[in-house]
Amino acid sequence: MQIEREQAGEDVLLKVAGRLDTPNAKPFEASLLDVVNTTTGGIVVDLAGVVYVSSSGLRALLVAGKAMRTAKRKLSLKSLQPQIREVFDISGFSTLFEIS
Amino acid sequence: MLILAGLLAGLGLLFIGLKLMSVHLQQAMGRRVRTMLKAATRSSFSGFFCGAFAGAAAQSSNAVTLIAGNLVRGGVFTTRDAIPVVAGANVGTSALVFVASIDMHLAVLLLIALVGITYQLRLDRRPSWRDWMGVTLGLALLFLGLDFIKSAPKGIDVAHAAEAFSNGLTPLLGLALGFVAAVITQSASTATILAVAATKARLLGLEDAFYLILGANFGSGIATLVTAGGLVGIGKQLCFVHILVKGVGCVIVFALWEGANLAGWDSAAILTSLGGGEPTLSISLLFLALQVSGGLPVTVLRGLTERISVALSPASVEDRVSRPHFIHDAAIGDPSTALDLAAHETDRLVSLLPDLLPDLDQRSTGAAKERTVLWHGSTAIVAATGQFVVRVIERRVGREDLDLALHLQEQLDLVKFLQDTLHDFSQVVEEFKDLPPLAFNLSEALRTIVLSLVDARGGSSEDFDILIGLTSDRSELLDRIRRALAGSTLNSGEEARKLLLATSMFERAVWLVRRLAVTLRPDANDDKPATALNKANLEEAHAD
Repeated sequence: MQIEREQAGEDVLLKVAGRLDTPNAKPFEASLLDVVNTTTGGIVVDLAGVVYVSSSGLRALLVAGKAMRTAKRKLSLKSLQPQIREVFDISGFSTLFEIS
Repeated sequence: MLILAGLLAGLGLLFIGLKLMSVHLQQAMGRRVRTMLKAATRSSFSGFFCGAFAGAAAQSSNAVTLIAGNLVRGGVFTTRDAIPVVAGANVGTSALVFVASIDMHLAVLLLIALVGITYQLRLDRRPSWRDWMGVTLGLALLFLGLDFIKSAPKGIDVAHAAEAFSNGLTPLLGLALGFVAAVITQSASTATILAVAATKARLLGLEDAFYLILGANFGSGIATLVTAGGLVGIGKQLCFVHILVKGVGCVIVFALWEGANLAGWDSAAILTSLGGGEPTLSISLLFLALQVSGGLPVTVLRGLTERISVALSPASVEDRVSRPHFIHDAAIGDPSTALDLAAHETDRLVSLLPDLLPDLDQRSTGAAKERTVLWHGSTAIVAATGQFVVRVIERRVGREDLDLALHLQEQLDLVKFLQDTLHDFSQVVEEFKDLPPLAFNLSEALRTIVLSLVDARGGSSEDFDILIGLTSDRSELLDRIRRALAGSTLNSGEEARKLLLATSMFERAVWLVRRLAVTLRPDANDDKPATALNKANLEEAHAD
């Protein structure tokens, strides 16, 4: 799994590639929480390079989403591949996050 | 031929009598047996006497051992508590052997007359009388069977038969015959009664009977393992306690017998004098000595007995997952504490829900079997917790406690439905050889939702609001998936059928998680759980 961080105005763009599975979920969650705790703007997660998401990966996003919600900030997702989009729709995550 | 038929008829009547007594005693006593056994296990002394009473009534230490084993498995009491019961049951079975050694002919006639007259007077119409009349009929048939068995050898040419036995019945053969007879009849006392009859007819000497009874005594211990069949883990530990009672009894009595012979005394003569010259009474005393000398050390050293039985039959995975961690009967006297414990138990059951689903990231061999064991165990705990809450409600509880109890009942119902749905869903997913992407997505999505439920426990009302949002209606999406599947020809339609099934189960599971989340959601104002009758229903009505 690879994570690239870019600043886009006040927001932070995280470009993720690879597999969001059990071994990668913790480092992914840590990266997200690091951005939550060290910045004040919104977070956009670009999932174009993600080919696999398991429950561990979804959970990491949920933890970060809750933290952002508490801080009254926005976490949005973009460029999901169709197969990945389906798991987000089925799990109800599409209703929790703004997806573009 | 007539002699053999008489012997077999006697055995048949004996078995019918035992069965009738067992069935009707169970119906007449009902839950009182369970309550009595439970109360008795508070001390070794009362446990031993209660076991002796149960053994005398059921005339089978195997039956008492298996009943106690199932109660231990059900968490009514522990193996350690039940050790004196098993030891006592063995002593209790001696009663039948003593009865067989005395002339019961008159008692048999009177009992049959009594039962016949009561049936003629139609007293069996009263439910309270019917079972006790069944017990009396069972007792009468049992005595009649004993009478037949004792009468059968009288027609044998004693001198000829005795000669045959004296030539052939070595100690080893006696032990083997007794062992086989006990394993076949599942009873040491039945084999001993046959020995009593043979000794009374002078077919067997006291020394021959000694080895035969020794073999029968140990054989009936081993027979428990055969009867136990599917029992495993904790439930089987008492079977080994039973074998220990029998084995220790055999070793002590054999050591005394041989020790006396080595010291220059005649063991057979000592036993004869103890029986007052009556061989049948001597055999009965020998049988009693075997049970007492086995039962007492096993009871006194019950810590050691427990360790041995645990080593021979350690707790199975199912035992470990099917035992409640919080609820216990002693707490029922204090309804508020009892309901707190039930709430903790329910919370623990919720925490186990994700383990009922496959983790597709980490698939391992044997995981499906472990999930089935967990499902069996956790559904058993839901049932036990539900019964516990009912027993608390049966006590006069205050309004607040009653509200909490009803709330817990609703949660337990939902947990039970969810356990079953997750189990069924997992089975469908595991049926796929190559997991289709939709099955993967459904499984991982459901696992995420259930994990979110577990994470939300003890959290704020906001955590539950997120979960309630996550589980909102998605029928439009799922209907679209169903329509696509209906037109699909995946693997001749079989794969599509399984995916349709998985989709329906997924939808049901999500709905159940939502219902459960609503009942678990703390009140936003005071952070207390919403009561079943107001907040949950209001939320549900509002959300849907």
